Amino acid sequence: MKKIYLLMLGLVPTLSFAQNLTDGLMMQKKSLCTGFMYMHDRWTDYWEGELKRENGNIGHVTTQSLTWVGTYGITNKVNVIAMVPYVKTKASQGTLSGMEGLQDLSLGVKYNFFGKKFEKSAFNTFAVLNFSTPLSDYTPDFYPLALGAHTTNLSYRLTAYYKIQQGWFVNASGAYTWRSNTTLDRPSYYDGNEFVMSDEVKMPNVFDVFVSMGYQKGPLQAELNYIQQNTLGGGDIRRQDMPFVSNRMNMIKTGALVMYYLPKPQGMAVRGSAHYTVAGRNAGQSTTLMAGVLYTIKFDKNQ
Amino acid sequence: MKNRNIYITAFFAFAFVLGIVTSCDKEIALSETLTPLQPASLDEDAANWTPIDANTITTEKIVNIVENSTPKVFNPPADITSDAYKAELATIKDIQSKLTKEQKDIIEYWSGGGVLRWNQILRGLVARFNLPPAPKADDTYPVPDAENPFADPNFPFANPPYAARAYSYVSVAQYEALKAAWHYMYQYDRPSPYKNDSGIQSLMPETDLPSYPSSDAVLSGVTAEMLKLLFPAAVEEITLKAAEQRNAALWSGKASTSDITAGLALGKSVAALFVTRARGDGMGAAGGNKALWQSLADGATAKGEIPWISLETPKRPPMLPVFGKVKAWAMTADQIAAGRPAPPPLTSSAEMKKEVDEVKWYADNLTRERLAIVHKWADGAGTYTPPGHWNDIAAEYIRDANYSEVRAARAFALLNMALHDAAVCCWETKFYYFNPRPSQMDASIKTGTGVPNFPAFTSGHSTFSGSAATVLSYLFPAHTDYFHGEASEASASRLYAGIHYRSDIEVGLQQGKNVGGFTVAFAQTDGAE
Repeated sequence: MKKIYLLMLGLVPTLSFAQNLTDGLMMQKKSLCTGFMYMHDRWTDYWEGELKRENGNIGHVTTQSLTWVGTYGITNKVNVIAMVPYVKTKASQGTLSGMEGLQDLSLGVKYNFFGKKFEKSAFNTFAVLNFSTPLSDYTPDFYPLALGAHTTNLSYRLTAYYKIQQGWFVNASGAYTWRSNTTLDRPSYYDGNEFVMSDEVKMPNVFDVFVSMGYQKGPLQAELNYIQQNTLGGGDIRRQDMPFVSNRMNMIKTGALVMYYLPKPQGMAVRGSAHYTVAGRNAGQSTTLMAGVLYTIKFDKNQ
Repeated sequence: MKNRNIYITAFFAFAFVLGIVTSCDKEIALSETLTPLQPASLDEDAANWTPIDANTITTEKIVNIVENSTPKVFNPPADITSDAYKAELATIKDIQSKLTKEQKDIIEYWSGGGVLRWNQILRGLVARFNLPPAPKADDTYPVPDAENPFADPNFPFANPPYAARAYSYVSVAQYEALKAAWHYMYQYDRPSPYKNDSGIQSLMPETDLPSYPSSDAVLSGVTAEMLKLLFPAAVEEITLKAAEQRNAALWSGKASTSDITAGLALGKSVAALFVTRARGDGMGAAGGNKALWQSLADGATAKGEIPWISLETPKRPPMLPVFGKVKAWAMTADQIAAGRPAPPPLTSSAEMKKEVDEVKWYADNLTRERLAIVHKWADGAGTYTPPGHWNDIAAEYIRDANYSEVRAARAFALLNMALHDAAVCCWETKFYYFNPRPSQMDASIKTGTGVPNFPAFTSGHSTFSGSAATVLSYLFPAHTDYFHGEASEASASRLYAGIHYRSDIEVGLQQGKNVGGFTVAFAQTDGAE
């Protein structure tokens, strides 16, 4: 259980996902796992409401990010998880300018509140409280090229993790995310349902489910996973309209992830993952690739 | 174990704090709230103010229609001592004795002033219908069909010229209808029900405005008819809102059933005159056709210029290329042609190269501050358009001036006739020169908002804003610097966005001010000051 990994799953620009917010692993007391993850996400087809289409005025939309990640074990049962992503977007066709900048700081507390060991397996449950807030004054009013929704979010997550001695595991996690309202630079807007005379946009909350199964033993971690995110409200993109920050953005992604601790130097790990959006609404059908390097430092030499 | 308890306690304390934060509601602060209207003056002489388009309506013309139609549009009112009228008062008392919360909310909503409310509703309709048609499988674009408005694409595509015209027709028709109402209200001088029976409450601010015909009903009738012409696919909500306004007048004790019936009929009669004008103003031909689109390109090429091409994929026909021939309100076709600005720099000139380079610099250096200005004024697809933005700006000033309904209607009419004339003049210029957008001249220019699908010179935002700021400065001279400051910012936002050259915005702003001058010249002698 010493090993820790992190992952940005590329739900940028909607919800930033970190693997170890959703997984069943913990850092040990006085250990820090830190590193950088690079993500490349691209889509051509997208769902305009429920209608799948492509758009010659944007071509492929590519989002790249470089995220600093860090997880620290306050105790064996309580971890603090932080992330800072720098995001860059670009459309391959049309005239719209890409955007780039620091996105949202994410800060979470993960608590292993229940654990039971059986003869040849173990079951653990976790609660995660996660807070995120914009680190820069990026605009939320430029979808699909905006860096994000520019909201302050609070997530409540519960995770269950079951692993057998041979290394096989299943993991299931779900979270409810409350999102603050967001502010536009203009005095009114049409949100897909109604015309609103305000610069403030009411943002629907989000629910997500994360399920994975795989193998984790020794230096190797490999898993297949399923991610579903549903926005609990919001309008559809109308025919030929631009997306809007409060749209009902839903998606289902599946993917695979591999992580490997190098024999040398001690504590250095590499990880890679790939995900594909199999279904969506007001979202792009993206392919997401990720690669990163993580290093674990133990401050308590007695362990 | 003790440690464990501390962590559990801390964890749940954190959860509790988050719980408090997340339980706070997300209600948003709406701008432009309206409070019950108590006009500073009743403008008793409004019927004598000069008509905006005497070919469409004069007092004599509408009086002739009202009194000489068969049957008459409405008859003189029954005496307030008559049994028929007393029965109407009894009905109001009965309604008022059992008003629901919903009915009280409707009264409250409409007490903010019908002209202001309809302007808000109209801005919402424009935003909703301001969607370009999606391309078909063969890469052509369908044209919204007024005869089949519910089809895909909905009719209309309320783009800026369409919207400018729509705001102007609604505002001018409302203004002329209210003037006609004022004519009859002061001729018949029948007081509101709450003045005739102490058992009837006044649930809107009391005034000495006579109530036959009901000015609220006139407004509901004229507006609904104009909106049904302009936004036929919204017929249901339009008629519901109009009925709501009449109900609010009845329930609040402001007007009786006969006041309302007469008002509705008068409003519709005035609307019919403007519907006739609208059907013959050239809008039907403004979209042009394939041969015309080609001739515009050929014309520019023949002059040795690079012609405008659409930057959309697939290429979209230009937006309303013949809108420059649509009838204006305060300008003749000759005045429009005479006011057309001198040509922009030739596309092959060094001067043009310099302008392109400047746009490129702004596009490559789009700071967050300038992006905010770009987005504040973008007013692109899915918004109420630049004319709507200027109505938005004007509404607070009109509200705070406590104008009578007829004077509020005049203010919106003046603003929107200038905005419409700006659209006509600007489009006439754009399609006369047919010059390319910066991103056509240099494909590396990436923009902070969508590139509009029509030629660059002159900037529509600049022309609209120049005309609106000029009219609003005439109406509210104390705020002249503010209006012109906003206009300059709106104009500059198009250069910052990378979608216009400096000459487009500077010449456009001046062109707009000139256009606004025609409306101001009319207003200065219309008898309302």
